[in-house]
Amino acid sequence: MTEAPAHPTGTAPRLVGTSVPRKEDLALLTGTARFVDDLRLPGMVHARILRSDVAHARVRSIDTSPALEAPGVLDALAGAELVGKVKPWGDLMQDLLVGDHFPFATDKVLYQGQELAAVVAETRYQAWDGCEAVRVDLEELPAIVDPEEALAPDAPLIQEQIVYEFGEGNVFDRYKIRVGDFAAAEAGAAVVVRQRFATNKQAGAALDPHGCVADYDSFTGVLTLYSSTQSIYMVRDVLADVLQIPRTKIRVIVPAVGAGFGSKAQIFGHEVIAALFSMRLGRPVKLTLSRADVFRAGTTRNAQVRYAELAMAADGEIIGYRDYIVHNTGAMSVWGNQVVHIGTNVGMLPYAIPNIHVDSDIVHTTTAPGGPLRGFGIPQTIWAKEQLVDMAARELGLDPLAVRERNVIDPDEFPYRTPMGHVIDSTSIKQCLLASADAIGWDAPRAPHEGKGLAVSMKYTSARHPSLDTDLSAVRLRLETDGTVTVYSSDVSHGQSHATMLAQIVADGIGVGIEKITLAPPDSMTAPFGLGTYASRGAAVLGTACRLATERLRDKILAIAAHVLEVGPEDLDTGRDRVFVKGLPDSGIYLEIIAATAAYRTHQLPPGFEPTLETVATYDTPTEREGSDGSGNLSVTYSGAAHAAHVRVDPDTGRVTVVDYAMVHDTGTVINPLVVEGQHHGGFAMGLGMALSEDYVYDAQGRQLNASFKDYLAVTAPDVPELTKTAEIPAPSTMIPGGQKGAGESGTGPVPAAIGNAVFDATGVRFTVLPITPQRMLVALREKERQGVETLRYPDDMPDFTGPRRHDDWPAPVSADADLDFDFDWEDD
Amino acid sequence: MRPFTWLAPDTTEEAVALLREHGTGARVIAGGQSLLLAMKERTVGPSHLVSLGGITGLARVTTEPDGALVVGAATTYAALTRAALPGWHGVLSDVAGDLADRPVRNRGTIGGALCAADPRFDVPALAVGVDAVLRISGAAGDRTLPAAEFLRGNGITAIGPDEILTAVVLPPLPAWDAVVFEKFRHRVFDAAIVSATCALRRACDGTPAAVRVTVAGATATPVVLDVDAAATAADAADLAAASFHPDATDEPTRYRRELVRTLVRRTVDRAHTQQGSA
Repeated sequence: MTEAPAHPTGTAPRLVGTSVPRKEDLALLTGTARFVDDLRLPGMVHARILRSDVAHARVRSIDTSPALEAPGVLDALAGAELVGKVKPWGDLMQDLLVGDHFPFATDKVLYQGQELAAVVAETRYQAWDGCEAVRVDLEELPAIVDPEEALAPDAPLIQEQIVYEFGEGNVFDRYKIRVGDFAAAEAGAAVVVRQRFATNKQAGAALDPHGCVADYDSFTGVLTLYSSTQSIYMVRDVLADVLQIPRTKIRVIVPAVGAGFGSKAQIFGHEVIAALFSMRLGRPVKLTLSRADVFRAGTTRNAQVRYAELAMAADGEIIGYRDYIVHNTGAMSVWGNQVVHIGTNVGMLPYAIPNIHVDSDIVHTTTAPGGPLRGFGIPQTIWAKEQLVDMAARELGLDPLAVRERNVIDPDEFPYRTPMGHVIDSTSIKQCLLASADAIGWDAPRAPHEGKGLAVSMKYTSARHPSLDTDLSAVRLRLETDGTVTVYSSDVSHGQSHATMLAQIVADGIGVGIEKITLAPPDSMTAPFGLGTYASRGAAVLGTACRLATERLRDKILAIAAHVLEVGPEDLDTGRDRVFVKGLPDSGIYLEIIAATAAYRTHQLPPGFEPTLETVATYDTPTEREGSDGSGNLSVTYSGAAHAAHVRVDPDTGRVTVVDYAMVHDTGTVINPLVVEGQHHGGFAMGLGMALSEDYVYDAQGRQLNASFKDYLAVTAPDVPELTKTAEIPAPSTMIPGGQKGAGESGTGPVPAAIGNAVFDATGVRFTVLPITPQRMLVALREKERQGVETLRYPDDMPDFTGPRRHDDWPAPVSADADLDFDFDWEDD
Repeated sequence: MRPFTWLAPDTTEEAVALLREHGTGARVIAGGQSLLLAMKERTVGPSHLVSLGGITGLARVTTEPDGALVVGAATTYAALTRAALPGWHGVLSDVAGDLADRPVRNRGTIGGALCAADPRFDVPALAVGVDAVLRISGAAGDRTLPAAEFLRGNGITAIGPDEILTAVVLPPLPAWDAVVFEKFRHRVFDAAIVSATCALRRACDGTPAAVRVTVAGATATPVVLDVDAAATAADAADLAAASFHPDATDEPTRYRRELVRTLVRRTVDRAHTQQGSA
C-alpha cells in the first residue's frame, strides 16, 4: 500500500481515488430511473416500423394507403414519398460522407430488418395493425452472409446506388498498414506462424432497447427528441442535416439510458421517422424498438476473417506481423470501417512490433449493420495476434509467459514511441502480465482437462477517429446561489457513472460537498458541445474537461474571497463548502455567500470581475491524425490489460467452464475504484460472450435465426466466474492532467484470446473461429481422437472444412495493389 | 397481442363446451408461458381463451389407491417443486425445479408443457421416460393415452380441438426402482439440447430386470430405446448414439449424437448405482 495521497485542501478527505457510492444507484435500485419508454407526454401517439423480413430484395412497390384505413391510424410513411425531401446520411470515410442511409428502403432492401414503412396511431397496437395492412411487393434477391463470398467477382452487388471513393463491388473501403519491412522480418525469422481466424458477430444487447419520443412544437418550430443514445450532438447535427432545418430547431434530451456498449453511438432511422411523424402531426410520437428489431437493425460487432502471420526470432522476439482482414461491416454502417482502422492500429499493442504489413477489405454483406461494440476491433485483433504468440512460442519451445514478458512494452524512458506510432506515456503492462499469470498459478501443473492461457492488450483511451478529426469533450459548471453546483455535459452517461465521477472531481476542486453536486441531464439546448460517450473516454477526456472547468471556477471563487477577506488568493484554500485562510479551516466564507455575491451583490465583487460563477472548459486530446501508412498516435494514452484464464473442458459435453480468471489492469489514476472494477467485470462478461456463446446465426437467405434473448446466448450471471482476482497496477497517464486512463473496454479485449489459449492448453485444440461453443468443442475433441493427433485446429483440420488450409491457398487482398495514397507512395520507401 | 375474449369456466365439462362453441379460434390457457409469448409476437391470435385456472381440482396432486400419482394438468412447476413426492416420483419435483427461470416456474404448468410439445422441454421427455399416462376429457367423454402416443411431433399432440388434458398419471412406485433424468443446456434457463431418462426396475436379486431409456431434445418427439436390461451403461450409450442419425456428419447432428451418448451413459450409470425406492 502506498502512502495516503495528500489532501489538497488540508481539511476535506480527497474523494478522487475512493469508492464513493454511486449517485446513480438510488434511482436505478428503486425503479424510479426514467428510461425513454417510460416517457408519457400529453397527446402522445405511437409509431411502429414495418421492417423487411427478407435480407436482399428489389422493392417493386410499397403501398401504405390501406394502413390509413385502419382504426386509429393517423399517418403512414414509406420511402418513395421522402426521396428528394429528406437528405440521406451515412458512413464517414476519410472525411467523406457517404449518403447510404435513408429512413426507408426505396429501391432495394439490403438486410433483414431494414425499414420499409411506418405507421403512427393512437395506440401501439393500432400502429401494429396499420403496419400489417401495408401492402409490400418485393422481389427477393440472393443473400450474401459470408464476407468472403461478397468479394467474389460474380457476387451480387449489394449497394448499387453508391459510388465509393475507395472501393468497388461490395468493397466499400480499404485499409492498410505499412510499417517497416515484413518480408525482411519473415526472411530473418526463426519461425513464422500463420493462421486463418474468423470472429463472430456479437450484439450490443443493451437491456434498454433503442427508442425515442419526438415532440415537435408547431408554435416555436422546435423539435425535441428524447432518445436512448450515446451522443446528443451527433444525433442533433445529423438529424438537422437530414431534415434540412437549423440545428437550433432541434433539441436532443437523453433520459436514463440502460447501456449502449457502442450500439447507440449514431443516429438511427427510427429517430428520423419519429421526428417526421411528429412534425407532420404536431403531436409527440413514441417509437420504441422491439428486441427483435434491436437485434436486426441495431449495430453489431464487425465479424472478421483474418489471414494473420507472426514472425518471431529464436529468442522469442516478435519481429513482424502481417494480416489480411476481410472486415464484414454489414449492409451499411456509420462507423464500421473505423473499427478496422483503430482496432488494428491499437491492437498491435502492447508490443513494439517493428515490421507490420496489413491489408483490409471492408465489405458489405446483406446482414445487420456492423459498428462499434465494446473494444472497437481490439478483441478481434487480439484474438488472432495473441493466439499466434502462443503458437510461435510453442513452436520454439518457449514459455508463452516468458515470450510475452520479453515483448511487452517496458521502455527505459517515457514517452516512448512504437514503430506503429503509438506514443506510450506510461505503462505497467509487464507488471500486470506477471501479476495476472501469478494469480492463476501459471507454473502449477494442470489437472486433466484443464488449461491456462494468457492474453495482453492495451486499449485506447478515447481516439481521434480517422474520419473525425476531433477528440473533445466539454463541461460547464455553475456554482448556484445556494452553494450547490450544476454540472452540464453532453456526454451521456449510459453506465459510466458520470454523476458520481464528475462530482468527485468537482468536490475535490472547490471543496463543495459531493451531495451538493448535480449532473444535469444531457440536453443540447443547455450542454456545451461534446462528442458523446464511447471509446472509454469519460474519465480521461470528459474528466479532464471537468477538471479544467473546476480549476477555472476555483480561480473565480478564490478571487472573490480574496477581495472580501482582503488576502491574496494564494493564501486561501477551499473545503467543507467554504473558502478559508490557510490554516484556519473552521472560519472562512461559505460558497453560497460567494455565489450570491457574484449574482446579487455585484458591487462587492473585485474590480473588473465578470459576475456570476459559471465556467466552461473543452478538452481536445493532443492526438495525431492517421498517417497514410496507417501509423499514428490515435489515442492520448493507453490502458493496459493482462488477463489470465484457467478453464476446464468437459470431455463428454464440450462445455468450457472458466474456473478462475485474473485481470490485472493499468487504468492510470482511478477516480472511483468501485466503478472501475464494475466496468472491468462487465467488460469481461461481454468478452466471455464473444469467446464462448454469442453470435448472429443466419440462414442461407440472410434471416437471423436467433433475434431474441431466448435464442441469442448472451452471458448471464451464473455463467460468470467469481471475479475475485481483479487488480490495478496504476501507471498514471502523464498526458492526462489527472492521470486517468480509459476503463470501459480493457475488460473485454483479451478475453477471447486468453480463453482460446487456455482451451488449447487444456485440450490441444486450437480454435480458429468464435465462439467456442460446446458443440464445436465436443466435435473437435472427437475428431482429434479419431485422427489420433496431438493437436487439432478447428475447423481447419476437419474433413469437411472448405476454407483455405495452406498459406499458398490464401486469398490475395483485393486492395493490395490499389494505391490508396494521395500524397505518399510507400512502395518507394 | 390482438384482442380476445377471456373465458373462465368452473368445470372441465364447461371448458370443453366452450371450446366446442368457439371452434378453431379458441385456445386453452393454463400458465400461458408458451401461448402468451406467441400472442405477444402476434404469431397466434386466438379469438377466445379458455382458462383452466378456475377449474377445481385441476392443479392438485393426489395418489390413487394403486399408488399411481395423479398430477393435475394445471399444476405449476413451482407447486411440483414444493411437493414432497415419495420415491422416484420425486424426480418430477427435481425436474420441475430445474428448468426455465423462476417467473416461468411460478406460472408454467405441467399440462402446458405437454400440450406445447416442444421437443426441448423436460416434462414431456420425463413423462415418456417413466411411461406416464395422460388423462384427456372431451365432448365424447374421457380417455387416456400413454405419453409416448400423445406426443406426435414438434408442437403436435394427439389432443382434439375440443379436448382438454386434465392430468398426468405417473405409474405406482413399484413400477420402477430408480429413475434418473439428465439434460444438457447452454445457460441455466435454456431449454435442453438433449435430455435422457433412465427408468430401471430390479429383480429380487437386485440385478436390473427392465431398463427404459428415453432420449429427447434432438428429435421431434422423445425416443424410447430398446435397451437390454443387462446392458452396461457404456453399451446402452453406444446403442443410443448408433441409433441417432448414424450417417450424418454435419456438426449439429454429430454434436447431438455425442450428447446422447454422454447423457445416456450418465443416466444408466446413475440408475445402476441408485438405491431402490422401497
